[in-house]
Amino acid sequence: MNVKTVLKFVRNTVIALALLAVGGWVAFVPSAKEPPYQFVTAWGGKGDAPGQFNDPTGIAVARAEVFVSDSRNGRIQVFDTDGHFKRQFGAPGTEPGKLGRPMNLTIHGNELYVAEYFNDRVQVFGLDGTSKRTMGKSGSGPGEFNAPGGIAVAPNGDLFIADFYNHRIQHLKADGSFIRQWGTTGKIGIWAGQFNYPTDVALGADGTLYAADGYNDRIQVFGPDGAFRRKWGGPFAMNIFGPFNGWFATVTRVALDQSGNVFVADFYNHRIQKFTADGEFLTSFGAKGRGPGQLDHAIAVAAADDGTVFVADFGNNRIQKWRPGK
Amino acid sequence: MKVFWQRTVLILGLVLMSVSAFAAQQAYKLRVDGLACPFCAYGIEKKLNAIKGVQKIEVDIASGTVNVTMTEGASLDEATAQRAVKDAGFTLRKFEPVQPATQTK
Repeated sequence: MNVKTVLKFVRNTVIALALLAVGGWVAFVPSAKEPPYQFVTAWGGKGDAPGQFNDPTGIAVARAEVFVSDSRNGRIQVFDTDGHFKRQFGAPGTEPGKLGRPMNLTIHGNELYVAEYFNDRVQVFGLDGTSKRTMGKSGSGPGEFNAPGGIAVAPNGDLFIADFYNHRIQHLKADGSFIRQWGTTGKIGIWAGQFNYPTDVALGADGTLYAADGYNDRIQVFGPDGAFRRKWGGPFAMNIFGPFNGWFATVTRVALDQSGNVFVADFYNHRIQKFTADGEFLTSFGAKGRGPGQLDHAIAVAAADDGTVFVADFGNNRIQKWRPGK
Repeated sequence: MKVFWQRTVLILGLVLMSVSAFAAQQAYKLRVDGLACPFCAYGIEKKLNAIKGVQKIEVDIASGTVNVTMTEGASLDEATAQRAVKDAGFTLRKFEPVQPATQTK
């Protein structure tokens, strides 16, 4: 093999790799369709006083109030939409009214649903903080949980629960009785309909179920009939993580806005990504840091009726408020 | 009178020392990779808390270490710690006993 042949081979290889990279970028890295959101304000700081946090892990917004899971403090804190403290409820413990590492939150009607990671249950509170009922117990059987991460509630009261260590999503009746599940109990999988530590769920107005498939770095979507519809997150949405548009690095929250757009907390990428209901990438916001508009591990997100978005900034122990960009 | 007080102080000292020795607690430092996500950090806390004799767990997410303090007289072996960490979805990288904490009652 002479030098000319070797050079030709190297040249062709470089061209092929370049074409592959360009093709991969075009195929797997979508461009933004909307401007990024604009930072408005932030509040919090580490501590256990009112308005401070020790691991904010969940957030929900309704009726001009922002509810935050203050996980290590074992409480829920409530603020107005400008971050002024209003009230708090809960304390670490296992009795009704107490909380064992509250995680993602959901508000349905006049009730707040709290996934309790340590207590393996879902606890339902009135929005004033009155504990109303609990559902579930530790285990891997139907209606049992092993570290529930998030909940969605259907109009008829049915519950959908991300059952983290059981690697499944459970569908239960309002009284906690089992209807069905997605995923195989205790078994990790990367194919459609399988899960790898699911962290949260959200329910569309038409009954479409969105599941944050945490360590598979993707969102999975199921129709009202339970059938798998689609998935997204990196190439082929099968546990390939990365920092690009539409890719994730551990998904910890999925939430919908009034229009059905999908917001995803992209934990290790320190950002929130926004998609259409079909999974088309729209925009993202946030970058690692401690300054205004920067995030240190974005763990949860919630959208208000007016389009304002609130983000739980886990590592900075604060909440951030954002509005749509112009 | 002087001898009486000397003996009293000596006896009290010996009693306190023996109580401290009995109250010695075993403590361990576990090194686990990939602990930044609270879903995993809480998982390790939860699994370790289920082990009999565990009194206190402190997770340092930044350094990826978990400090486990046992109740008096209890100890933790590496295999048990390894199983708990594995159940939480992680691999135990390092397990080392650290200076036992002591407390005087």
